Amino acid sequence: MRLTKSRKNTKNLMLYILATLVLLVMIAPYLYMLLQSLAPWHEVDRVFVPTSLSFRSYQWLFAGGAATLPRPWLRALGNSALVASVVTFSRVIFGAFVGYALAVLSFHGRRIVHNFILFHMFYPGIILLVPTFLLIRAMGLYNTYLAMILPGLVSTWAIFMYANFFRSVPKEVVEAARIDGAGELRIIFRIMIPIARPVTTIVFLFLFMERWIELLWDMIVVRDPAKQTLNVLLTTMFGPYGGYPGPLYAAGVLLTFPIVLVFLIFSRKFVQGVSLVIST
Amino acid sequence: MKLQKELRGWLLASPYLLTAVLFFLIPLGWSLSLVLFDWNLIAPVRIYVGLGNFQEALRSTRVLHAFVNTYKFMAAIVPAVVVVSLGLALIVHHLPRLKWFYAVGFFLPYLASGVAISLVVRGVLSYDSAFNAFLRATFGSAPRWLREPAWATLVISAMIVWKLSGYYALIFLAGLQNIPRELYEAAALDGAGALTQFGKITLPLLYPAFYTVLILAVGLCFGIFTEPYVLTGGGPRFATYTWQLEIYYQAFERFRAGYGATVAVLNALATFVSVLIIRRLVESWGVRKGFR
Repeated sequence: MRLTKSRKNTKNLMLYILATLVLLVMIAPYLYMLLQSLAPWHEVDRVFVPTSLSFRSYQWLFAGGAATLPRPWLRALGNSALVASVVTFSRVIFGAFVGYALAVLSFHGRRIVHNFILFHMFYPGIILLVPTFLLIRAMGLYNTYLAMILPGLVSTWAIFMYANFFRSVPKEVVEAARIDGAGELRIIFRIMIPIARPVTTIVFLFLFMERWIELLWDMIVVRDPAKQTLNVLLTTMFGPYGGYPGPLYAAGVLLTFPIVLVFLIFSRKFVQGVSLVIST
Repeated sequence: MKLQKELRGWLLASPYLLTAVLFFLIPLGWSLSLVLFDWNLIAPVRIYVGLGNFQEALRSTRVLHAFVNTYKFMAAIVPAVVVVSLGLALIVHHLPRLKWFYAVGFFLPYLASGVAISLVVRGVLSYDSAFNAFLRATFGSAPRWLREPAWATLVISAMIVWKLSGYYALIFLAGLQNIPRELYEAAALDGAGALTQFGKITLPLLYPAFYTVLILAVGLCFGIFTEPYVLTGGGPRFATYTWQLEIYYQAFERFRAGYGATVAVLNALATFVSVLIIRRLVESWGVRKGFR
C-alpha cells in the first residue's frame, strides 16, 4: 500500500512537471513579447531574455523617433476599448431582450423569428462583407466609429445563449413577477439577467475577446489613424516600424495584456460557465 | 390585452429585427445583384457582365491558389489541433488538483490577436534572431522560414494550432468528464491495461467531442486572414494565399466590388460543400465503428 502510494505521488509529480512545461510553451509568446518590449534595442530578438531592463521602446512608442512621427497608440487603445465595450454591452443587453422574447413570451410569428435567426446565424458572413461595406459607405458612415459599431450591435449567438438558458427558468418565476405587477423590462433586468449571470459572463467574455481582435472589418471601414483600433494601427505599422521591433513589441503588449487581464479577472466565472458554450 | 401581448414580443425582438433588416437582408439582396456587375466602387455606371465574374474567378490562378491552400492548411491544422488539444485535455483531466488553473492557462492563447502573435513570430524567425542563431550553432543551418513555401505554410498552421488548442481542449475535457468511472474500473478488473482502456473506452466515447472539434477546425480553415495578411502577404509565391486575402485584395485594394463579392460567394460555396462532405464522411465512419 505504501509502495503504490509513493508510486502514485511520483506519477502525479511527473504530471505536474509536464503540465507546467506545456503551460510555459503555451504562454511563451506572451512572455517573449513582454521581455522584448523591455529589452535594450541592441538586444531585441537577439537574446531570449534581455540582460538589462530598458523602457526606451515605450518612450519611443509615445514620443516618436527623430525621423518618425509619434502615432496615436494610446488613442488607439482607447478606440479599441470604446468599440469593444459598446458593441459587447449592446450584444449582451439585446441578446437578453430577444432571448427573453423567444423563450418566455408567446406571440404570433415567434417561430418565424426563431427560424430566421437560425438562417441568419448559418448564412456565410463573408458574402456580406462587400455589400455591407457599400451600405456603410452609402449611409455616409465610412471612417466613423459608428461604422465599426452599428453592424455588430446584435449577436445571434448571444440571443440563442440567453434563449436556451431562459427556457430552463420555471414559468412560475415569471408569472409570480407579473402578478406582482412587474413589466417585461423589470422582469428582464431584475429577475432574468441576475439568474442568467453565468451566461452573461461567458457571452461577455467571448464577444469582448472576439471584438477586441477583429481586424478585417475595422481595417476596411476606418482609414483615419485617429479612429483606428489598436489592432488595426499595429497592422499598419508593420512596414513603417519594421526597423524598430522594440516599439512594436511595446505596442503588442499594449494590445495583448489588457485583454489577458480582463480574462484573468473573470477566469473563475469563466471556468464555472464555460460548459454552457461547449456542450457537444 | 391580446394585442398588447403580441406587441410586447415584437417590441422586445425589434432590436434584432431592425439590425437584421439593415445589416443582413439589405446586404444579402445587394450581394445577389453585385456579382453580376463590374464596378470599381466609384464610377457612376456599373457594367453588367452577367456571369462574367464567375467565369473569370473560376479561371483565375489566384483563386485556384486560395482554393488549394485551404486544403493544405486543413491537412496541417486539423490533425495537429486534434492531437494537441486532446493531449492538453488529458493532462488537465488527470491532474489531481489545480485542474482549472492549467485549463485557464492553456486557454490564454485564444485571447491573442493574430497581429500581436505575428509580431512575435516574425521576430523569432528573423535572420539574426536568437532562435536562428541557436539553430545555426547547433545544426549548422536554419531554414529561411517565411521565404520557403512549405515552411511558411507550417509556421502559419502552427500559429493557428497554438491559438485554438486550449479552447478545443475544453471540449475534450467536457467529454472526458462525462465518461463514467465504472467503465474503467470494470475494464481494470478484466485485466485491461492503461493503453487498452484508452483505446477501447476513452477514444470511442470521445467521438462526439472529436466530431465537434473536427467540424470547428475544418470550418475555420476557410476563414484564415490575419496571420498571412500580416506575416507573408500570402507569399512566398502564393503559398499562404487564402480566400479572404483574395476577397480583400480584389474588393478593397483593386476596388473591384463585383468581382470581390463573386469570390466571396465561391468561398462560401467551397466551405459549404467541403464541410458537408467531411461531416458525412465522419458520420458514416462513426456509424460503421458503432460510435453513434
